[in-house]
Amino acid sequence: MPDLLSSPVFVYSGAVLLRVVLLFYGLFQDNFSAFKYTDIDYYVFTDAARFMSHGKSPYARDTYRYTPLLAWLLLPTTWGRSWFSFGKVLFAVADIVAGYLIVLILKSSYRMPGGRALKFACIWLLNPMVATISTRGSSEGLLGVMAVALLWAVTQKQIALAGVILGVAVHFKIYPFIYAISILWWLDDEQLSRESGSKYPKNGQSGNRILNLLNFLNPARIILAATSFVSFMTLNGLMYSIYGWPFLEQSYLYHVTRIDHRHNFSPYNTLLHLNSSPAARSTLKLESLAFLPQLLLSAVAIPLILAKKDLPSTMLAQTFAFVTFNKVCTSQYFLWYLIFLPFYLPFSSLLRRPTLGITALVLWVLGQGLWLQQGYQLEFLGRSTFVPGLWLAGLLFFMINCWILRIIINDINFLQPSSRHFALKKSD
Amino acid sequence: MKERITYIIRNPKLGFEPSNLEVAKASISVSSLDGAKEHRITLALAEVPQELVRVLKNCHELHIRWATSREHDSIAPYVSRVTPGLHVFYTPLREKATKRLCSLIQKLFGSYLKCVSTENILINFWSAFTTPPNISGRFSHSASRQYFQPLESTDNLVAYIGQTTCSEHNYECKLRVHDLLTADYIDGDYDSISHAVNLRAYWSQSHLTDKLWWETHHIPANGSLEVGVLINETPDEEEELRYSGFLTQVGDDDKPSPTLFSFPARHHPLPQSSTFKASFRIPSGLHPTYSVQLPADSLTPPSRDCYLHSYLTLPSPLFIDKYPLSDPLFLASHNLKALHSISGATDLEAPDWVTDAWGSAVLFEIVTPPSAKESLEVTIPTHLRYLSPIDSRTAQGLRSLLIPYPSVFWACNAELGSQFSTSPFDRTNLGYDGLFGPKTVFYYFNPSGPVNGSGLANFLDVPVLDLNRTGAGMVEWGTVFVILVGTAWVCWSLMGDFVSWGKGGREKEIGNKSD
Repeated sequence: MPDLLSSPVFVYSGAVLLRVVLLFYGLFQDNFSAFKYTDIDYYVFTDAARFMSHGKSPYARDTYRYTPLLAWLLLPTTWGRSWFSFGKVLFAVADIVAGYLIVLILKSSYRMPGGRALKFACIWLLNPMVATISTRGSSEGLLGVMAVALLWAVTQKQIALAGVILGVAVHFKIYPFIYAISILWWLDDEQLSRESGSKYPKNGQSGNRILNLLNFLNPARIILAATSFVSFMTLNGLMYSIYGWPFLEQSYLYHVTRIDHRHNFSPYNTLLHLNSSPAARSTLKLESLAFLPQLLLSAVAIPLILAKKDLPSTMLAQTFAFVTFNKVCTSQYFLWYLIFLPFYLPFSSLLRRPTLGITALVLWVLGQGLWLQQGYQLEFLGRSTFVPGLWLAGLLFFMINCWILRIIINDINFLQPSSRHFALKKSD
Repeated sequence: MKERITYIIRNPKLGFEPSNLEVAKASISVSSLDGAKEHRITLALAEVPQELVRVLKNCHELHIRWATSREHDSIAPYVSRVTPGLHVFYTPLREKATKRLCSLIQKLFGSYLKCVSTENILINFWSAFTTPPNISGRFSHSASRQYFQPLESTDNLVAYIGQTTCSEHNYECKLRVHDLLTADYIDGDYDSISHAVNLRAYWSQSHLTDKLWWETHHIPANGSLEVGVLINETPDEEEELRYSGFLTQVGDDDKPSPTLFSFPARHHPLPQSSTFKASFRIPSGLHPTYSVQLPADSLTPPSRDCYLHSYLTLPSPLFIDKYPLSDPLFLASHNLKALHSISGATDLEAPDWVTDAWGSAVLFEIVTPPSAKESLEVTIPTHLRYLSPIDSRTAQGLRSLLIPYPSVFWACNAELGSQFSTSPFDRTNLGYDGLFGPKTVFYYFNPSGPVNGSGLANFLDVPVLDLNRTGAGMVEWGTVFVILVGTAWVCWSLMGDFVSWGKGGREKEIGNKSD
């Protein structure tokens, strides 16, 4: 088995086969059962695409809260019945491409042998959760390929390309903006000059503040900031000019004003449920400060302290912190950090100390299990488990995630640089 | 003031003995009559309390329909069934009318009724009222706005009428008004063309101990009184109803005059055996399934070109997700054929406390089994909005909602459609009639209450956040405490860099294991 997992033929054909089987199984279940394999969101996307194909706005579909780009990508689903699954195929292909890019990065930047790289890419490629989510028609897989493509572009020193990908990704789902900070911070002269014959000239050191600032503003950083900003704003401007206010309202402002009162994994959930209701007695509205710890960790502290040590693992820690401290959290969000796991795991204490690794995995699953058990009692048995059950389960899962985040941070902090081989592309 | 009282004999075979009607100069007495009664009063605007007139003047038309949730018989021509509770249908003349109408509804029927209205045009002006689609088009009899609330008792209305119409010591007047408490449905209609207010109350039977009518009616001051006793006869045409019996114009006639007439009717009865029951499947959870059971022998269509339908008025905590209901397989698994109409509060995400609309009105077509040998269970998949948290020692974190029975009927295409409205017994603005073409005849199933006896409505237990278990302060400060601990704990590991770097211990430990 370990040998099979390092065989490209086996891994890629296995990943493709897994998705093909799931796709056809989904078609079968959709056609013969009232309980659909296809995700509810996929009907939202395809309905929006249908509106678009009739020259209408995708926001004519209730609960379509995405960029029109997504509906546009799925326009082929409106070409006929047999094209309905086009989007799922697209998401599944995005999965495979993401897996392939993981292997490329592991091989080129970590100097990992091909077989070993493939084995770690299997965490994504042969993960049944990833394959199921994509073939059910959820667009999270697209975010995965964008995140890993961003990383790949950075490691290949395709800074302008990285900027464009970053801009598109933020346009797609906002949260990737946290990567801008870690990448910008990471792109210092030391990284740039690692490569012999760099096309970016190295700036000299100076004690002068203005010169320090000028040093910080190296060409790579300026290019990344400019290209990502331009691509992000161009897309927004374009979408706003075509779809107007509903575009801004549904894709961005909605996320500011949404209440998120329905139960989900977030530790804030019960507080938001309570304080958005007429039963709220609090005058402090502490929940409105929820973005502070989230952004402090994911967008400031983690990137600034860790990015220069190990960029991909830092991106994992950032995403993990972002999802853990988010005001809303469902299991699809876990895919956001799963994509970075193959870069961190090979050098982690989770793998080095199997008891720690297994404990972390078991606690992570158990935390969700406990919450799901309470959620089942509420949702299907009609028992009022909001408090203390769901509330405490959410807080416990949060603490478990904090503990895992600490392990990741400690690993990035303390592992000897020599044990990680991540660096920019070297000319061999 | 014009009064018309109509009795319909329950058992046509027993007939009616005219000697049971005693006509005097200004009154008429009815004795030992077994049947249904409709009492209709027509008022000029001048005879209506001023506070009502102020609201009516802003209405193009206003129709109030209240139906009891007590189980009761339907006797033709009084067979049409709105869902149990209070319905208000109205077409505004002026936009400002809603706020006043809401206050009036609360004054007439109970101040606790949810009726949100706002004068702010930038927000949603038609907050509590919803706009049903109008399929009948410009020939519609239907008003443009809809409102509904489950309401079991009319004691608030009866008290209001008693106060405004009876003088303090007129006990006879008060007793007659008190009779309204036992009515099975009450209608109120106004339109700006006739400028008249029409009130109708229907009793399926007398509430005296022998279940027979024994009463005397007097001509109202400055008014007229007509009393009819009618017997259902077999009509010549399928779409018609036919009556024999006696009519008396009290004051003019000295004895009842026999009559025989027939008319095309919009609403028709089904046999007594055509019943249905409705209940929620247990446990209902947050996605209750409303189950409607129809017995096998009632599944034969009454005529050609008939389709079985169910119309529901769901209070705002309960809603329907229309999207999966477009899938034929999903529909079929619930024994539904199609979701024909849905209007009102259909937002899939909003909690109840931000939902201003009264709720939603839904019309389903039900499958008709090819052979009516087995009973049919139709299930309606619904979802619950989150309700506001409660603080109660006894409720076990549950709030009980009263959900009315649906209406179940056959809708058949008719030929004589345009003549329905000429009938004195025609009844429109029932919620569903405007969703069909004008040439539609309805045949009604008789709702029969569930075994546990809550009448033609079901209690639905909704789990809510129970602040008696964990207080609001505990939730707030507990959450904040855990978040702060978590944040500090993670920050500490980030700082751990500086702390442990000096000692070098941590690095060595990990470094050793890395080989």
